Amino acid sequence: MQRSLSMGLTSLLPLKLPSRMETHLWYIRPDEVKCASLLKHYSQLLSPTEKDRVLQMRGDELKKNALLARTLVRTTIARYQTNSEVDPRSLMFKKNKYGKPEVDWQNYNNCNNPPLHFNISHTDSLIACGVTVHVPVGIDVENKERKIKHDVLAFAERFYSADEVKFLSTILDPEVQRKEFIKLWTLKEAYVKALGKGFSAAPFNTFTIQSKVGTEGCYNLCKTSEMTISSLEKTEKCYEEWRFALLELADSHYGAICTEDDQAGGGGPMRVIIRKTIPFVEDELISESKLL
Amino acid sequence: MASLSTTSLSFKAPSTRISQVLKKGSSFQSVTFGRFTSSTSKSLRLQISCAAKAETVQKVSDIVKEQLALTADTPLTAESKFTALGADSLDTVEIVMALEEKFNISVEESDAQNITTIQEAADLIEDLVQKKPAA
Repeated sequence: MQRSLSMGLTSLLPLKLPSRMETHLWYIRPDEVKCASLLKHYSQLLSPTEKDRVLQMRGDELKKNALLARTLVRTTIARYQTNSEVDPRSLMFKKNKYGKPEVDWQNYNNCNNPPLHFNISHTDSLIACGVTVHVPVGIDVENKERKIKHDVLAFAERFYSADEVKFLSTILDPEVQRKEFIKLWTLKEAYVKALGKGFSAAPFNTFTIQSKVGTEGCYNLCKTSEMTISSLEKTEKCYEEWRFALLELADSHYGAICTEDDQAGGGGPMRVIIRKTIPFVEDELISESKLL
Repeated sequence: MASLSTTSLSFKAPSTRISQVLKKGSSFQSVTFGRFTSSTSKSLRLQISCAAKAETVQKVSDIVKEQLALTADTPLTAESKFTALGADSLDTVEIVMALEEKFNISVEESDAQNITTIQEAADLIEDLVQKKPAA
């Protein structure tokens, strides 16, 4: 019995917190985790509420992915404890008033709790967790090959901003158009999740995310001013305080990251450190950044 | 509304339930059902007017099954949460679009975000269909 737990299981390596300019991105591929005793070990990390939610998922694959998602969040955050080792089991979570999950540090008495923010996103073949300090973070991942059941432009016209529809309609190749649609989706989702106020606070058609002209991999957020929405001329204000990064993960997924730029970081593009993990088994530093 | 929903959805023993309710409701008949004949089908329709018809729930289920590519044997009820069936935000938006097309309605974004189960989707659809001006 002891053999199955200790066999090949390493402890979580402690890590330094990301700097203000950095986002750490951790991801797990469900198809690489098959060992039943490892999954059992993971399930022992979860709170009773989390276990219930896992069980509510319909189907074994969905249950496994839900389990891996909670495992990824708990083990990732536990790595960043600067003072003493933290048992991932002991972490507690709460939601902000709009429902965004946050770490609840109440059970830690010292005041040196890292001002750590996290956000998680999952698809059926990849689960990712982004970590920042001091500033909120939102992430979204999507399979590059994901097929949209509706016509891409019809979908965009219904949900995206006018400028984004314009951008997409200039793309003639349907495959490229579909891919750009998905990239935009991940960027927009990442922003709404970073904002943390729920979707009604930032309906998709009220803001535009576009590539910064003359830069590679840098994106701008622009909002259509609500005041002038009825007039013929729309003024757009571009918001410098949100930074975006768009990456390719595992050759199969797009991942978008959005963080608030609190100016203390000194400006400049976001630095992303990507690691693939199978908690307690292996961690792999993928690359510094692979921006799109 | 909760008790009405339960009544309307529990089709396992419809005749006993309905007759019980009708008996209970008989004292209200002049007020609530006064304008209608007390035929079973019309009263049944009134009683479930606060919760979506089974037919609507079925149509929504079919759309959800298709969007999420669920196998035929996936257990699916009106109370099934989209997230528990594996839907992410993109799926939910596609489901809403498909519902708009199927029922010829327009769903506000704020309403769309509040739909988390098949029942909620069906209720919203019926609400919007009823409010539509006559074509």
